[in-house]
Amino acid sequence: MKKILIIEDDSFLQDLEVEKLEKNGFELITASTGKEALEKINEPDISLFVLDLTLPDTDGFEILKKIKGTETIKKIPVIVFSNMSEEKYKKEAMELGAIEFMIKSNFTLDELVDKIKTILK
Amino acid sequence: METCQSGLTYLFAKEAGASNPLASSNLAVSANVYLCYNICMDEIEKLKKEISQLKIINDNKSDIISITAHQLRTSLSAMKWIFKMFMEEDVGKLTSEQNELMQKAYVSNERMLALVNDLLTLSHSEDASVTYNFKKLNILHIIEQIMFEFFGETNKKGIELIFLPPEGSSFPANCDEEMLRVVVQNLIENAIKYSDKGGKIFVSLRQKDGNNIIAVHDLGIGIDDSDKDSIFKKFFRAKNAQEKDAVGSGLGLFTTKSIVEKHGGKIWFENALGGGTTFLVSLPIAK
Repeated sequence: MKKILIIEDDSFLQDLEVEKLEKNGFELITASTGKEALEKINEPDISLFVLDLTLPDTDGFEILKKIKGTETIKKIPVIVFSNMSEEKYKKEAMELGAIEFMIKSNFTLDELVDKIKTILK
Repeated sequence: METCQSGLTYLFAKEAGASNPLASSNLAVSANVYLCYNICMDEIEKLKKEISQLKIINDNKSDIISITAHQLRTSLSAMKWIFKMFMEEDVGKLTSEQNELMQKAYVSNERMLALVNDLLTLSHSEDASVTYNFKKLNILHIIEQIMFEFFGETNKKGIELIFLPPEGSSFPANCDEEMLRVVVQNLIENAIKYSDKGGKIFVSLRQKDGNNIIAVHDLGIGIDDSDKDSIFKKFFRAKNAQEKDAVGSGLGLFTTKSIVEKHGGKIWFENALGGGTTFLVSLPIAK
């Protein structure tokens, strides 16, 4: 079972994401703050990160930089999943090494699942 | 002003019977010039302060809009996902009536999302003095990149998106990359929205009379003659467009036109009802 870390501060959205992904056979761990995310990114056997950009104590770019700057986890794919839709955010995320930039309101959870399955194939 | 004041001072000095009106006037001129200079500098300082305050107000306004849009999108995303989960019967079987109501709720939510997105883009596009970042760019590269990003969506919808290879490879224009992307994306999104499955969309780029011309041609529903004068108006939606696609705020083409004009360009369309539409954008070739 592939393990995914969801970094999402909105508990309502996080619950929906977890429910959908668990139904599709993934193991989930979650983080709601930047601090919590930094504590969990090094947990063993994570296959993919789903990362929100707006977190209460830091922004998602800091987490992305940390992941891509850590030798042991830098190859793990990161999907940025945010409602910050401006092109500059997408550009920055892709330059920092995200594999995909998805605007939450433009996608359904089924489409997120499909994307994750394609990336982890 | 200085010349006028000098002349007057000379005349006053002469009138007053000064032994050397020219010398007297020169001293007075210096004083007047100094006075004028101080008044001008005061005015410039006042204007600088006002500009600085307006910039702060404008930045605050942009922040409020951006944060509000983000919060609205978060709630609307949650609703979108939940409606979809019901429609996909993730949480149990629905009766056909329940499913129909869910579909209506989903479409209504999509309309609200489109409105929030378009208002955000409009606010951004109207913020010209602050947010536009004009640079000399080869728009061919931007269009190629956007085409690539749309292929997944058009494939899924069974629509063929075709980029007609241009003559040449240099299409320089002074533009804000992010805003130009909005223009091309809006035109392609509209073409997709109003095309049927199996339809084709042609995108092309050429140069004519000192302008780069971007064209997006679809074989969709076309624009009725009675709507042609309103198509770029704020909140206008043509009847056939509403019938084809309920989601849409009527701000897309208005925003697109506003952005194109901020680039010193023009936007127009040519169509044959039932035979599709071509939207054309001209942007001056950068030297």
